[in-house]
Amino acid sequence: MGAETLLDYMEEIGRRPEGADGGLRFVDRAERATWYPWTEVRERALAVCGGLRALGIERGDRIPLIYPTGIEFFEAFFGVLLAGAVPVPLYPPVRLGRLGQYLRGTARMIGRTRARLVLADPRVKRILGEAVAMARPPLGCRTLGELPREKGEAVRIGPEDLALVQFSSGTTVDPKPVALSHRGIVGQVEALNSFWRDTPELRHSCVSWLPLYHDMGLIGCVFPALTREAQLTLIGPELFVARPALWLRTLSRYRGTVSPAPNFAYSLCLHRISDAEMEGADLSQWRTALNGAEAVAPPVARAFIERFARWGFRPEAMTPVYGLSEAALAVTFSGLGRPFRSRRFDREDLSREGVAREAPEGREIVSVGRPVPGFRLRILDENGDDLPDGRIGRVWIQGPSLMEGYLDDPEATARALQDGWLDTGDLGFLNAGELYLTGRAKDVVILRGRNYAPEEIERSVEGIPGVRTGCVVAASWLPEDAEGERLALFVEAARSAGAEELAELPEACRAAVLGATGLAVDAVEVLPPGTLPRTSSGKLRRGEALRLWLAGELTPPEPVTAFRMAKAVARSGLAYARLRWGGEEG
Amino acid sequence: MRDEMILHGISEVARAHLGWEGADLSPEMRLIEDLRLDSVRLLTLAAEVENRFRIFLDEADELAIETVADLVAIVRRKLGR
Repeated sequence: MGAETLLDYMEEIGRRPEGADGGLRFVDRAERATWYPWTEVRERALAVCGGLRALGIERGDRIPLIYPTGIEFFEAFFGVLLAGAVPVPLYPPVRLGRLGQYLRGTARMIGRTRARLVLADPRVKRILGEAVAMARPPLGCRTLGELPREKGEAVRIGPEDLALVQFSSGTTVDPKPVALSHRGIVGQVEALNSFWRDTPELRHSCVSWLPLYHDMGLIGCVFPALTREAQLTLIGPELFVARPALWLRTLSRYRGTVSPAPNFAYSLCLHRISDAEMEGADLSQWRTALNGAEAVAPPVARAFIERFARWGFRPEAMTPVYGLSEAALAVTFSGLGRPFRSRRFDREDLSREGVAREAPEGREIVSVGRPVPGFRLRILDENGDDLPDGRIGRVWIQGPSLMEGYLDDPEATARALQDGWLDTGDLGFLNAGELYLTGRAKDVVILRGRNYAPEEIERSVEGIPGVRTGCVVAASWLPEDAEGERLALFVEAARSAGAEELAELPEACRAAVLGATGLAVDAVEVLPPGTLPRTSSGKLRRGEALRLWLAGELTPPEPVTAFRMAKAVARSGLAYARLRWGGEEG
Repeated sequence: MRDEMILHGISEVARAHLGWEGADLSPEMRLIEDLRLDSVRLLTLAAEVENRFRIFLDEADELAIETVADLVAIVRRKLGR
């Protein structure tokens, strides 16, 4: 009988004879590696499990984990699982970054999961005091060293038990904790593993710099490696961002065959890796460069293939994929072993009629492929009726790894999950059986592979003099030929705003968003009061605001001198920032 | 190492890795508000400053850094050890 839970896989590892060659390898900034066989990972996790049980942790308790990439994350993660509890990986603080915001967000997420205990890296724990004090988990915050030393034994759990809670977006505002069962995760992992069959000539191994609190890093890389007892080589995300060459050199050195990353990572490699850094590198073992977690920009994928072919990168390795945390991870994969596919569609038809008609000079959209095994897709119109091929609608999915729901939020769950189908909130169409994504009906800003609740960005500009309270929209989109999604902010000015306030608004908004979220806003549009589209109940229609703005229809017909001036200032401000920073992509 | 040399070194890091095109940074500049560093650039700055001066910053150090001068002071302290 096959494994039904992640613990079944852990148990199998325990039965292995000595010398099984799978395990975890951590590469540090000096490119030194530390190696832990899976058997050792399991033993360490059992010790944590013993400590947790001695502390009184019970089956189903939620335990947030705050660790940088390293062995301790795995001891904690699998230790929590072995104790029958539910790990909730949260992100560690950003370097040099806004601590206040981080602590509030972390407190909110700890509170939202009703955690009994928080486990944290000792360095993280030192600065976490305020967040823990705000959220007050009954058993406090501990490091692994602070757990009682007791011999551990795995708790019996079933496939319906929760295995993991991951946050899909939102920290301070509207956090969405996605609850996944063991059954769901095993279903997802089996679907993923079906793509990489080992042969006597080729044993697959993965290299990843993705954060472990992100579905693509944890579910996409860690669990397949665990269940196959394969090698997984890990780099900290902060190391990758600072030195992208480390990723490709590590792939070369350890002959990685699979490595996933969002579009922005491929773009970062183009801009921030020098030829000298690639000396001696050989990427020819890299069979699958999964490209997901955000919109795929065709120029980036092409430029990456072209540039890194010199070091053996296979053109067919670039593999656009689509998934979301509510589905555990992957929903569609484009065909492996063939170059990625894109088609061009008439712009006017796409935006006006929601129809995808191929046109040689049209907008280029990348295919994200077909459903992974066990998944089904439907494209539905506003009334919930199925749309034929080539018609844009909401993407609904069904499959073995859909979430159980948003944790402790039956209403949000009922909105997303209906009759076993999940509303992804994404817009797209089918063409020859393959999925093409055109935008989002849901309110999410996706930048650098990470999801943000727009409210979080909007809230950071509330209170700026001249901003009309509650009348701000943040939205992101992928412009044609751009290297990644752009962030726009539409701000209605208060009626009382003076000319000087208006003139300063764009800069003030940029600074506030940057300070609060670490995100650079690409465009600020200051609008007269009442311009933003709303629903009949008065809620902002973010998608519609973006659509109107892109069509040049968001600005009111009546020219208003003060607003024109503010807009001129906004443009010059943008130009100024580009000039100072040499227009370089972040 | 004197503060001016550290400042110059940090400015070179900004030019080489952050796309900064101006003259040397000045000490009172704030990393987020004045230099407009987003999270990717902050991370890059931290890592490249470590590489350049062969030091390791830890979380406790980093929390105190708001301005270029703060960064200079931490680098000086780390080098002094």
